[in-house]
Order: sequence, then C-alpha cells, then structure tokens
Amino acid sequence: MIKKLICLIAVNCILFAGVSRAEINFSGFASINAGKVMSGTGVPQYGVPPTFLADYPLVSAYSKDISFKPESLFGLQISADLMDNLSVTGQIVARGADDFDATIEWAYLSYTLNDNWTIQAGKKRLPLFYYSDFYDVGYAYVWMRPPADNYTWQIFNYNGVNALYTGEIGDWSVSGNLYYGEEDDKDNKLLSEFFFLEPTREIWRDMMGGVLQLNKDWFEVRLTHMTYKNERFRSGERTLFDGSESRTGKFYGLAMNLDFEQLFILTELNRLDLDGDLDTSMVSVGYRLDTVTPYLSYSQFKTKGEADGEKHNTTSIGIRWDFHSSAAFKIQFDDVKDESFDLAVAGDSKSITIGIDTVF
Amino acid sequence: MNIIKNTVISLLLLISYAAKADVVVIVHPSNSVDFDQSSISKLFLGKAKKFNDGNQAVPINQEESSAARVSFNSAVLSKSGSQLKAYWSKLIFTGKGSPPQEVSNDAEVIDLISKNPSMIGYVDSASLTDAVKSVGKF
Repeated sequence: MIKKLICLIAVNCILFAGVSRAEINFSGFASINAGKVMSGTGVPQYGVPPTFLADYPLVSAYSKDISFKPESLFGLQISADLMDNLSVTGQIVARGADDFDATIEWAYLSYTLNDNWTIQAGKKRLPLFYYSDFYDVGYAYVWMRPPADNYTWQIFNYNGVNALYTGEIGDWSVSGNLYYGEEDDKDNKLLSEFFFLEPTREIWRDMMGGVLQLNKDWFEVRLTHMTYKNERFRSGERTLFDGSESRTGKFYGLAMNLDFEQLFILTELNRLDLDGDLDTSMVSVGYRLDTVTPYLSYSQFKTKGEADGEKHNTTSIGIRWDFHSSAAFKIQFDDVKDESFDLAVAGDSKSITIGIDTVF
Repeated sequence: MNIIKNTVISLLLLISYAAKADVVVIVHPSNSVDFDQSSISKLFLGKAKKFNDGNQAVPINQEESSAARVSFNSAVLSKSGSQLKAYWSKLIFTGKGSPPQEVSNDAEVIDLISKNPSMIGYVDSASLTDAVKSVGKF
C-alpha cells in the first residue's frame, strides 16, 4: 500500500511538474482514540461477547480490553489547483479498524462553474446524514463520533457526479447538493464481518439524492432525500428480495441545529424505507464554556411495525476540551440499550472512550 | 465567597479588555458598499462571494496567532478560533470550500487592499491609514 502511495505521489509530481503554477495543497486530520467496554451483555444467542459498536460501517468495535485501534485514523488530503476553475482532490485514510491499511477514500475532480455552482465527479463520501461526509474529521464536531445508532448504513462512499450550490436568499444562506452514482462493495465489512458472517457483496445502484441546507444566524435546517436500488450477494449467491433481484430504498432526513454563542442543540430525524421503515433520530445539547464543552446526547434506531425488529438506543455524556489551537481532547461515556433479540446487534453496554482529534 | 467571585470576574474582565484591541474592517477607497456585521461575517465564512453591489469579494484573513484575528473572530464572527477551525475543517475535507487567504500583518493587509478593489480585510484600529477605507469598527 505504501508503495502504491509513493507511486501515486510520484505520478502526481510528474503530472503537475509540467503544469505551470499548479498549486498543490496538503491538509489532513488525525484521531487517536482509545476505549473499552466497562460492562455489557453481549449477544449470548449469537455468541457475541460484551461489545460496543461505535461505528457500524467500519465495524469499530470495542471490547472489555482497552484498545486504541477501533476509531483511530489518519487522513491526508491532497488538492491540486489546475487553474481555470479546475481542481483535483484526493483523500487517503488509514484506519485502525482496517489495521491502518491506507486507502483512497475520496478522489474527485471539481469544476467551479460560477459563484454558485460547482460540478464534481469521482469517488466521494455519500452525504446521507448530516455528519456523513465529514464523519472521519472528529475535530469538526463535538462528540467522539456522530451517534452510532443513526450512522448505521453499510455503504458510505459512492462513485458518481454531483453539483454543489452555495447562495443566498434574502438573509438566508443556502447550500445544496444534487448527486447521482453507485457503489459496488465487493466485500462489505459490516455485513460480512458483523451481521451475516459470510462474504457479502453489497451493491447500491442508481443512487440519486439531493440535500438542501438553509442557515440564518443561529438556526440551520438540512433536508435530504435519496433513492437507490439494492442488490446483494452472500457467499456469491444472489439474494432475492421477495423473489426480485433488487429492491428500492428511499431515504429521508431532517436535521435542525440551534447554535447560540454558548448553548447549542443538534437534532436529526431520518427514515429509510426499505421493505419497511427504519427510523433513526438523535438529539444533543452542548454548552461552550470557553475551551471546554460538556454535552449530552441521545440517539435511537428502530424498525417500525415488526414485533421483534431491530431496536437500540444510546445515551452519551462527554466533554470536548480545545486545549490547543489545532487539537481537541474528548472523553465520552456511552450507555447502549439493545432491545432486539433476533436482530440484536451487540447487546447492552456501558463504555468509555477518550481521544484527541487534530486537523492540520 | 462572593468577594472572591467578584474579584475573579473583575480580573477576567480586565484581562479580556486588555487583550482585545479594536479592529477596523477595511476595503478599497473606491468601494461604496454599506456593510454590517452580518454581511462581513458571510464573506469571511464563505457564505457570500460578492459584495452587495454584485462585485466579486475576496476576504483577506490574518494569521491565526495575530491579535487582530482573535479580536475579529470574537467581535465580528462571534466564534472562537477552535469553532472556526472546526467550521472550515468540515468544508475543506468535504470539498465544499476553502478558508480566506491569510497574510501576516496589518501592513500587508493594507497594502493588498489599497491595490485591489475586490478585497476586504481587517486591521488593528491603530494601524489604519488613508490608503484604505474603514467600513466599521468592532
């Protein structure tokens, strides 16, 4: 992998050496986190020991032994301004959850059409939830991680095109994103390693979505809708959904944030309609005291209608301390209640995580 | 107990007054746009890219450690340095924007703005010269 990286950098240098005044910017982010489960039930019926699943898609799971690996990560962004409104950006992320194997998670071309519109194409993070596309950048939000019960979807990248909008309507700042793409994840980590325990290929085709974000003073609202076609292969065998090779998922999201100078309230309400409704929601409250920000959060996931569906919630309490101009220390306690049996995820758990998030 | 509390509060107030220099927001002398705190904020947060008259706006920031930047952040943007860094991190790493260009001192800001009608910046009020136009003191 390192070889690949060197090759990539070399290729970039060769490519850009010939271009006059191509400006290359490096920036990055890193999180060093550690945590452990203090007590937990696990899922006896599936032989799962006490576990805290802090991040579903990456399978960042803490156990009763202290571990630094599940959520620690290092990201490097390289952005080259090719002049005439064109730029190319790549983001390489090495995660402890993947044994720090570095992979290119973002790679896209960006073309600025005018002050309002930017067209991008390539591989990007799927902007499903409010925090999805900057999930890896712990420094950018208050908690250790966006609430795990909400961020449960197995696909988090896509390949495609999108159009970003930034503008103003009266006193309101408006931003938006329209995207189209697909992702064919040959060995999906969450499904393969955690849920089905067999190699699972997860395909989301014809993803089509829109995001609209409005902001005025202390108020911000984000609305989103996305549809996709899901296909799946378990151990090479195509999964049939009610006899059909694919099924359609429809995602709806509403996030509202109130941000006063010290007090802030963050909320998210999401629904995925995929053979029934999967509802997620969260509310967090924090209070900035100079460099220290204590916060409380509650999040939940539940399937609607089924007698024994998937149902879990997390209550979190923590502190973010901006002890340095580019780094924040965080400590968080999470109390997870898993109320499902057949679809139990990791059982109840009480865990503690601490860490440092930086950007550079 | 109350005396101690009051003393601590007065001390804190003193310290914060001492550390806070007034900043003036400046533009090119030919710029005749009216500004308020909100329109300046939008330009420095990347939420607006044009002046109210429709002309292109280029905000110029000062280095993170400068006293003028610290005052500007709290008085005009109403945010701490860490909050602003978190805000820009979110935009930088999602390909949605990049922070204003930074220069290292008041003289450099004045020099740049005196030569470029699309720029807007801020300096310590003591550094203000006739080469630029002040559009607000904070």
